[in-house]
Amino acid sequence: MIRAELMKMRTVGSTWVALAVALGGLLITQILLVTVLPAIAAGSILANEPAARAELGPVDTSSTGFQYGALDVLGASGSSGSIGIATIAVLALGLIVGTTDFRHGGILGAALARPARTVILGGKVAATAIVAAVLGVALAAVSLAVLLSLVAFSPAELALQPAEIASSLGRGVIAVVLLALLGLAVGVLLRGQIAASIVVAVVLVGEPILQGFVQLVTGSLPVWAQILPLSLARAGMAAPGDAALEPLLALAALAAIVGIVTAAAAIALRRRDL
Amino acid sequence: MNTHDTPAIAVHGLHKAYGHTVAVDEVSFTVARGRVLGLLGPNGAGKTTSMRMLLGLASIDRGQASIHGRPYAQLADPVGTVGAVLDAGGLHPGRTARQHLRIAAAMAGVDAARVDPLLDDAGLGQSADRAIRTYSLGMRQRVALATALVGDPSVLVLDEPANGLDPAGTRWLRTMLRGFAAGGGAVLLSSHILAEVAQVADEVVVVARGRVVGSGRVDDLTVHHGGDLEAYYLDLTAENAEVR
Repeated sequence: MIRAELMKMRTVGSTWVALAVALGGLLITQILLVTVLPAIAAGSILANEPAARAELGPVDTSSTGFQYGALDVLGASGSSGSIGIATIAVLALGLIVGTTDFRHGGILGAALARPARTVILGGKVAATAIVAAVLGVALAAVSLAVLLSLVAFSPAELALQPAEIASSLGRGVIAVVLLALLGLAVGVLLRGQIAASIVVAVVLVGEPILQGFVQLVTGSLPVWAQILPLSLARAGMAAPGDAALEPLLALAALAAIVGIVTAAAAIALRRRDL
Repeated sequence: MNTHDTPAIAVHGLHKAYGHTVAVDEVSFTVARGRVLGLLGPNGAGKTTSMRMLLGLASIDRGQASIHGRPYAQLADPVGTVGAVLDAGGLHPGRTARQHLRIAAAMAGVDAARVDPLLDDAGLGQSADRAIRTYSLGMRQRVALATALVGDPSVLVLDEPANGLDPAGTRWLRTMLRGFAAGGGAVLLSSHILAEVAQVADEVVVVARGRVVGSGRVDDLTVHHGGDLEAYYLDLTAENAEVR
């Protein structure tokens, strides 16, 4: 079943589009991060826009915080609450796997071949995890290349130890896999590509809005408001101590959310008429 | 009971309702090995729903449906036992026929080497690497039929398999089904093309408004209609032809 699901993914153009957008989006985002932001801060560009410089504040490319940002495999470190292009593409990848069979009737062939429908979902989960892991490694390679280019072509020194780099990238790969699985589970749960896309868009846009609202009302961002998928993925890749939740705890919480939505998708798939 | 005495397909007292709408009501029939059964009825009569319940794709409110004595979900080798065509086969328009069949083979655990002969038999050898979106309806039906045969099954469940087929395709389907039955296979076939059913089916079951309103050997049923299955069918369904 896993091999069949991998073949399905490989033979659908939208899978390749999602992968290309993730990689291209991350490359552009991270190059902008390590070139444009320092240039604005230094007044090399937008020299006549002091307000922009003041709002951005000092940018220290040698700081561990900045370099962790350069290693963000989802390209979402530009500012607090930002949504990386790669994040959208990774969620879309899972969503495509989850909904394509329902859209084109392939789920009937799968259910005829494997009447135990949890096996079908298991195959999709495994195949999505494999492809997302490969994508995550490729995204990590892009991020690492950007960071190494930064220290090679600028006065910045490498502030991170190899173990810190490996740990951050490794956690990034896990976050990519979990977000892809979240997209998959939402797709299988809702079946319709448009409905699932709307829900994912609401999560992407709604989470920062909700957090902004909570912050406005309470004056701070309580931990409960950070137990949301995108925040957890970001916290999972952050430097230890930089986020309210420790990275591994954040990834565990994200895995729990993915597990709950996947369980709901499995129940729905078992109970539905196809 | 000797397993050879068990009908290849057995449906007994099948009942299914969607809310207050009864889709299938006490439908019963059997298909023996080596026989072709035509399942006839107006649109919305419950033919497709009955087939989906038989194949475990839709839940059964009441009654039983089995293949070789077992519910579909309990078959040890589902694709090696039953080949099915539903909704033109669930074809992704961006895939080629060859990719579609290879995926079907992988899902069934069948050697991919079986794909090329199936494509050739279905007359798709030359166009197997074209995207399915460029296919005519008849070619899609051929892909769906080839997919149904991937597991070399002994039972075929086909919902409107002749839709869109040209005369050559129709003849190919007829020959294939008769050959399949002659080899000991059992076929459950739903179709609105009554002339085709008359040529290929040994027996028919006519359903209307979810209920069986007629069943038996084609020759016996049409004896008072000059052997014309269409005349028999239209007479039988005239009072129950409401489209739902």
